[in-house]
Amino acid sequence: MGDGGTTYSGVNPNAVWLNSRGIWLSYVIAVTILHLVLLSIPFLNVAQAWTLTNVVHNIGNYIFLHMLKGTPWETNWDQGKSRLLTHWEQIDFGEQFTTTRKFLFLAPVILFILASFYTKYDPLHFIINLSTMLLVLIPKLPQLHGVRIFGINKY
Amino acid sequence: MSKDSFEPAPRVVVFLTYLGYGILMLFGYFRDFLRKSGVETTHSAIERKNMKDFVPLYQSFESFYKRNIYMRLRDCLNRPICSVPSAEFDISERVSDDGNWHLRLTGKTRRCVNLGSYNYLGFAENKGPCADAAAEALQQYGAGVCSTRQELGNYKIHEELEETTARFLGVEDAVTFGMGFATNSMNIPALMGGKGCLILSDELNHASLVLGARLCSTVIKVFKHNDIEDVERKLREAIINGQPRRQRAWRKILIIVEGIYSMEGSIIKLPDFIRLKKKYGAYLYLDEAHSVGALGETGRGVTEYWGVDPRDVDIMMGTFTKSFGAAGGYIAGSKRLINHLRAYSHSTTYACSMSAPVAQQVISSMKIIMGEDGTNRGQLRIKQLAANSKYFRQRLVEMGFMVYGNDDSPIVPLLMYMVPKIAAFSREMYEQNVGVVVVGYPATPLTETRARFCLSAAHTREMLDKVLDDISDVGDRLQLKYSLNSPVKAVSAEECYSQVDSLEHKA
Repeated sequence: MGDGGTTYSGVNPNAVWLNSRGIWLSYVIAVTILHLVLLSIPFLNVAQAWTLTNVVHNIGNYIFLHMLKGTPWETNWDQGKSRLLTHWEQIDFGEQFTTTRKFLFLAPVILFILASFYTKYDPLHFIINLSTMLLVLIPKLPQLHGVRIFGINKY
Repeated sequence: MSKDSFEPAPRVVVFLTYLGYGILMLFGYFRDFLRKSGVETTHSAIERKNMKDFVPLYQSFESFYKRNIYMRLRDCLNRPICSVPSAEFDISERVSDDGNWHLRLTGKTRRCVNLGSYNYLGFAENKGPCADAAAEALQQYGAGVCSTRQELGNYKIHEELEETTARFLGVEDAVTFGMGFATNSMNIPALMGGKGCLILSDELNHASLVLGARLCSTVIKVFKHNDIEDVERKLREAIINGQPRRQRAWRKILIIVEGIYSMEGSIIKLPDFIRLKKKYGAYLYLDEAHSVGALGETGRGVTEYWGVDPRDVDIMMGTFTKSFGAAGGYIAGSKRLINHLRAYSHSTTYACSMSAPVAQQVISSMKIIMGEDGTNRGQLRIKQLAANSKYFRQRLVEMGFMVYGNDDSPIVPLLMYMVPKIAAFSREMYEQNVGVVVVGYPATPLTETRARFCLSAAHTREMLDKVLDDISDVGDRLQLKYSLNSPVKAVSAEECYSQVDSLEHKA
């Protein structure tokens, strides 16, 4: 069917929908639209717009991939195993180093590089961009699969 | 034989679908916030106040999709029908005052064209020879059976039904069950119980096949839809590697496929599967729920469509719900297989057998299809269905809609992709007095929501023309004509219906 995200009976769609046809392009377009919206706000200069894009993207990334657990539809098929897993941990059924995971790992890095360039490597912007990038990259490391520091977000 | 066609969606459409889901999700979160803060009334189940410190019973995030997306298009589903579902039927109207959380009947009904019922040969009738014979059987045997097949529920009419089914399909013997879903889910465990077995199942198999496969303690591998190379690859891997951890040979391998896939309208490439099965020594389980009666020159199903010997398929399964206007299912094959199932199936042991008037309906409709009642009404129905399917599908493709599946299948899925469009399409068609079935997630993949039309021999060409005009009109208003293929002027309507007209003149 040309769609890597075919959800056959009894499989968690959260694990496969990011492999579907056209999703990466949609992701890039969504970030571009966000950036254009921020650029059009009159009192922000270019550097602030880029940093804001980076920060908003990373916060959204963190919330949807690493904070929210479970699935927005009932998981009758796996007896609640995916209730305790964040979306990142559910992708591709927990298999590491798949192409989707690499794409989602690279997106904040590329945004960071672009933001650093357009803010002319200003120290304050650098610190903000770097810290949000680390916030969103560290949970994606395979060593942190299923790890809940200090029990935050465990249940 | 026609090829299946699955045109991939244009990228803009895919992006807009995801954008639609994103916007719906954001609004869902907003509405949930309103519900939590008390601005909006909460209709779903919530915890009681004094159970606050216990482990929560309801995961509110898990019902997010149901609360915020499913509820809003709920009025398009579960429509109550109050007449026989033939080519036209009566739908009871419903209204809602609180956004589809509570629907109430108004008491009025609306007569609509039926494009959703599985009524392929038009046997969903309450008049005519089948209905009369079923009424006679009701007088003779009563409505219930009150026992299982193995105890006192084995009536003469059941044996006649099984003998007729076996003759219809061209195999040695058949066994029938009262429920089509249960035929799959209760009999696959009887065939594949025991360790060391492997099931290869198509990724788009029906839930009954998935459930039946899960109820055995076998290893299940899923292969890509209708993809012979993938099946061959997985078969070779399985045979070469043997069972996991023990590396011993598999005791048996079963390939489970369907004749026509109900969500896609695609037809299985049966000769390739038979060639594969013979080469590697696997067994083939063919679920002909939608294809028996609907495909083939004389309605014998997908084996006749491809010109394959039905004895090559080890286990042929089908249902009586779709083409025969009854209920229940059958499994047909060699005498040894059927005797085993008669003894070991969960259905024959624990489930009550088919009701007598329903069995009689199947017998009469099968006799009509086979021509044993002395007329050519059966042939007429088969040709009418084939002509209707071809005509309808070609007109839709000409109009520029995105249609999946095989040209010869009576199931025509029309892709709409964006979730709000399925609700809009269903409601607009309801206003035009056409009843359609729309499906979204979880019955289809997340982004391939569709409307699924089921053609019937009971539809006349005038009905279809009127429906097609309505579909084209609604499609223009909702911008559903996504297909980028240049409109192909295929066979004309006169050619589609030529066989039907010649048969009618002979009758």
